[in-house]
Amino acid sequence: MISEDNMYYMGIDIGSLSCDAVLIDHDGNRVAATVVPTGARNQEAIVRAGDEVLKHAGIRADAVIATVSTGYGRDRVGHRTAAVTEITCHARGIRELNPDIRLIIDIGGQDSKAILLGDDGRIVDFAMNDKCAAGTGRFLEAMARTLEVDIIELAELDHGAREGLTLSSMCTVFAESEVVSLIAEGKEVNEIVAGLNRSIASRTLSLVKRVASNFDGLPIAMSGGVARNGGVIRALNRVLNRGIFVPDLPDTVGALGAALIARERAGEKTLVSA
Amino acid sequence: MMKKYFDDLVGGIDTALNKDPANSSPRKLYAREVARLGSRLYSGTEKVAWCGVVAPFDVLNAMGVTSCYTEFIGAMLASTGMVGSFLEKAEHEGYAGDTCGYHRAVIGAMLNGWMPEPDFLIATSAPCSGGLAVMETIADHFKKDLFVLHVPQDESESSVRYLADQIRDMTGFISDHTGVPLDRDVLKDAIEKTNEARRLMEEVYQLARAIPSPVDGRMLGNFGIVMALLLGTPECVEVIRAFRDTFAGRVENRTSGIGKEKLRLMWIQNRIQFRHPLIDLLEKEYGAVVVADELNAITWEPIDPEDPFEGLARRSISIPFNGTIDRRIAHLKKQAQEYKLDGAINPCHWGCRQGTGARGLITEGLKEIGIPVLNLEVDCVDSRNFSEGQLKTRIEAFTEMLWERKKAG
Repeated sequence: MISEDNMYYMGIDIGSLSCDAVLIDHDGNRVAATVVPTGARNQEAIVRAGDEVLKHAGIRADAVIATVSTGYGRDRVGHRTAAVTEITCHARGIRELNPDIRLIIDIGGQDSKAILLGDDGRIVDFAMNDKCAAGTGRFLEAMARTLEVDIIELAELDHGAREGLTLSSMCTVFAESEVVSLIAEGKEVNEIVAGLNRSIASRTLSLVKRVASNFDGLPIAMSGGVARNGGVIRALNRVLNRGIFVPDLPDTVGALGAALIARERAGEKTLVSA
Repeated sequence: MMKKYFDDLVGGIDTALNKDPANSSPRKLYAREVARLGSRLYSGTEKVAWCGVVAPFDVLNAMGVTSCYTEFIGAMLASTGMVGSFLEKAEHEGYAGDTCGYHRAVIGAMLNGWMPEPDFLIATSAPCSGGLAVMETIADHFKKDLFVLHVPQDESESSVRYLADQIRDMTGFISDHTGVPLDRDVLKDAIEKTNEARRLMEEVYQLARAIPSPVDGRMLGNFGIVMALLLGTPECVEVIRAFRDTFAGRVENRTSGIGKEKLRLMWIQNRIQFRHPLIDLLEKEYGAVVVADELNAITWEPIDPEDPFEGLARRSISIPFNGTIDRRIAHLKKQAQEYKLDGAINPCHWGCRQGTGARGLITEGLKEIGIPVLNLEVDCVDSRNFSEGQLKTRIEAFTEMLWERKKAG
C-alpha cells in the first residue's frame, strides 16, 4: 500500500530545446531533477526524462501519484494527469523557490515571457514574445555557431567588453549576418557577445514593461534555460537596474511548478485538465 | 464561379431548413442572407456599389442598389480558405505583407478579376484611412465614380448636419448612376424596418447578457457589422427576430449556449475570419464563452423615418472606432460591466492601427475595472500567419489566470 512517505509527484516540461522532469515528495521537497535534449522526437525525450528522474530518485514509476505536463509539447505527454501552460507552472515554481518575487522573466528555447504576480502570488498579467525566436535559446545557439564558440562558453565571453556595441537587428537571421559583418570588421568576440546580450536585455525590458510599466520595487526572478547564461543576466541587471534572483537549476522551474500543481490537484482530488 | 458558390450555399441551407424546419438555427438564416447578398453582388445583373464600412446601407437598399463594404470580400475569402492566393497576388504587386489582410485580400481579388465590377463606389473616411485608400484604388482600377462621405470624429450638432448634408448629396449621386430617383415613401419604409431591426437587436444583446448566456462563441460572431449590410430590408428583421426568439427560449429555460458556462469573455474589434480551433478550445477545455463582441452594440437612437438624414449621420458617427480613444474605452467598459465579463481578448489584427495602436490604453482602461485583456498578435484574415501553438498557449494561460482569479473571488 502506498503511504504518504512514498508518494511522489512529477512535473514534465517539454520545450523546444530541452525536456525537463522534476520529482517531488509528498511534502513538496524536490527529490530529483533532470534535463535532456528534446531533439527531433519529443516522445522519446519525454520517456527519457521521466525514466532518468525516477532513476536519480531511486523510486518506481507506480509511486508517482500524479504527473502534470507543461511546455509546448504538454499535450504529447501520454501519462499526464493534467496539462498546464508553462506560464502558470513557472509562476508556481518561482513562488515556491522565492515567495517574494513579483515579476518573472522566463526565456526558454523558443519563446520568452514576462509574468507579473500579485501580492498573493497569483498571476496578474503576462506577455510573450511575438512570432520570432529573437532573444531566446535558439537565438543564442545560432549566435554561438556563428562565433564558433560553445553555448556554455558564450555565457562568459562578454567579460572585458568596453565598446558598448549594440546590434541593430534582433531577427535571428539578420542578427547572424550582422555578427558576421562585425567579425569581418575585426570586432573582438567579447564586444560582439556583450552587444548580443545587451540586445536581448533591451528586448526583454520591453516585454517586462508590457506587464509592469513601472516595476520599481518589484523583486524580479529569471527562469528558463537562458538564465544559465551569466552574460545575459549581467545585461539584464544593468537594464533593470537591480540584481535579479536566479534559482539553482533555472531550466527546471517550469517542471517544478508542474510537479507542485500535480501535488496540489491530487490533494484537492480535482484531477481534471485546468 | 463565386455566383455558383453562393447559390450552392443558399441551396444547401434551404435544403437543410426544409428537411428539418423545427431545428432551424438563426445562424443558418443569417448565413443564408449573407450568401444571398454574395450571390447578388456577383450576379452581373444588379446595380452594385462598393462602400465604406459606415455607409448607410439602408438608404442604398431602399434605392435598389446591392451594396457591401469591401472588407466583406476579405472576410469571405478567408472563411472559404481561399484567401492565400489573393494575398500573394497583392503582395506581388507591391502591397506590403504587414498591411491589413482585409485590404490586401480585396486588392488581390480585384487584380485577379474576382471582385465584381461596381457601378459606383461610396467610400467613408471612417473607420480607417486604409479602407478609404482601397476604395480609391478600386475606383481607379474599374474607372468608376467615387463618392466620399467624410465622417466627422465627434457627435456635435454641426458635425451631424455636415454628414447629413453629405448623405442627402449621396442620394443624388446614386440617382445619377442608377437613373432612379429617391422614393421618399420607400426610404421611409426602409427606415421603419431599420428601427424594428434596431429594437430587436437591442433585445438580442440584452438576452445575451443573461447568466448563463444563451450564446455560444460563434453565434454572434460578425453579427452586428454584417447585419448593417441588410438594414432596411424585411430579411434583416426576420433574421434578428430568429436570434431573439432562440435566445429568449434559452434564457427562459436558463440554458447556456455552451453547456456549463464558467468564464465570460468579450472579443474586441473583429473576429478571426478563417477556420481556427481557438473558440472550441475556450469552450470545451475551459467553459469560457465569448458572450460579447465590441461591435455587437447599439450606439445610436431610432431614426426619424420622416426625416432620416440626421439620424443616419448620428449612426455613422457613433461607432466605437470614431473619435478619441477615451470614447472607445468607455464603450468597452460599459460592455464589460453590462455583460459581467471575466476578461477580454483583443486579436490586435496585424496592420490595423485601430486594432494595435491603442492596445495599451485599452488594456489599462479595462484593467481599471478589473477586466484583464489578452492581446494576441494575429492576422484575422491571413491564415498563413496563424501560429496555432503559440496562440493556444496564450489563450490557455489567460484562462488559467482567469480561473485562479475567479477561485480566489
